Amino acid sequence: MAAFLRSKCSSVGRTLMGGLGNNLFGAVNSSVETVSRPSHCDPIFQQIRTFIQMRTNLKVVDNSGAKRVMCIQSLRGKKGARLGDTIIGSVKEAQPRGKVKKGDVVYGVVVRAAMKRGRNDGSEIQFDDNAIVLVNNKGELIGTRVFGPVPHELRKKKHLKILALAEHIV
Amino acid sequence: MQSLLRRVYLAGSHGSAAKLLDRAASGVAQSGANLLSIKHLSSCSWIRPFGNSIVSGDSVHSHGFCVNTMPMRGLSTVGSAEVSVEEESSDSPGVEHPPRIKFKRPDKTARHIMNILNKEAVDKVRGEREIPDVQPGCIIQMRLQVPENKRRESTLKGIVIGRRNAGINTTFRLRRLVAGVGVESVFPLYSPNIKEIKVLDRKKVRRAKLYYLRDRMNALKK
Repeated sequence: MAAFLRSKCSSVGRTLMGGLGNNLFGAVNSSVETVSRPSHCDPIFQQIRTFIQMRTNLKVVDNSGAKRVMCIQSLRGKKGARLGDTIIGSVKEAQPRGKVKKGDVVYGVVVRAAMKRGRNDGSEIQFDDNAIVLVNNKGELIGTRVFGPVPHELRKKKHLKILALAEHIV
Repeated sequence: MQSLLRRVYLAGSHGSAAKLLDRAASGVAQSGANLLSIKHLSSCSWIRPFGNSIVSGDSVHSHGFCVNTMPMRGLSTVGSAEVSVEEESSDSPGVEHPPRIKFKRPDKTARHIMNILNKEAVDKVRGEREIPDVQPGCIIQMRLQVPENKRRESTLKGIVIGRRNAGINTTFRLRRLVAGVGVESVFPLYSPNIKEIKVLDRKKVRRAKLYYLRDRMNALKK
């Protein structure tokens, strides 16, 4: 009986019904471990696939010391920045003893974008997150390492140093 | 009444216009229409019918070209009563019309031609190299030639989460993890840059688009 109920009830259903005080479902719930999903996996928390515009939060994927940057200005285009574009951002989270600290206004190059970008050969590419690499106002890298994949479109944008330091080029 | 007037126009050249005008006059008198007396019109020698209008005799030149025309205001009772000679003669069985050509809509014709060209292009690509049946749920490995990267070949392995059928423009969406980051790429199935596609595994799925794998990538992992 318990096995039958276990197969019929979903994980969410077991969790909800186990807290109602019903002994039968409580027994089933105790014998089966529930799979807890993180909050960002919920469909409503999926990445919004649009331009990087004002107030967009981006992940910093170099060792400059910043963790999270909020975009305050896109330096190219009317709508916003895309893959390979340069933006101005404000550091919202930073590691202690880093090269930048919280509240600094920094420049950054978008190396991963959730909005899809077409390529010359007819293919398209899109990433699961928005990520940047911090640069100074001359375009030189602040950090010395770049983590994660970067697209080879950065070659056209003359960011060859980022490609040289990247782990993977896609 | 209208048929009589119509025959007045047509019979003008045959000399029997006077008789018909007499009949028309009696018909008008019975109907009580206070129009211009058609009897009076028939006695005038300078008026004779010419097509759909009454024309004075000296207004027609040697070439048959009408200069001054007087519209038949007194004789027309209804606007649709006047019928041209060509329409009247079209009822006669002796006249033969050319067969009516049925034109096809150009957009349909163009679509048909494009379908043929699409099929030919697909057959040509399939003849050059083997292309497997890539469906959502397939775990594939492909060798891709990147034009920007000095013609080096890169190997990609991932799960197909969607396919769009459009003839030679058929594309499929490949999802893979690169250094812990999810990357989705859309590739044309018949692209010349794709050197080889190998289907490693086929998972049983009941959806055409597996976008839910963006939330839980481990669901269909090997």
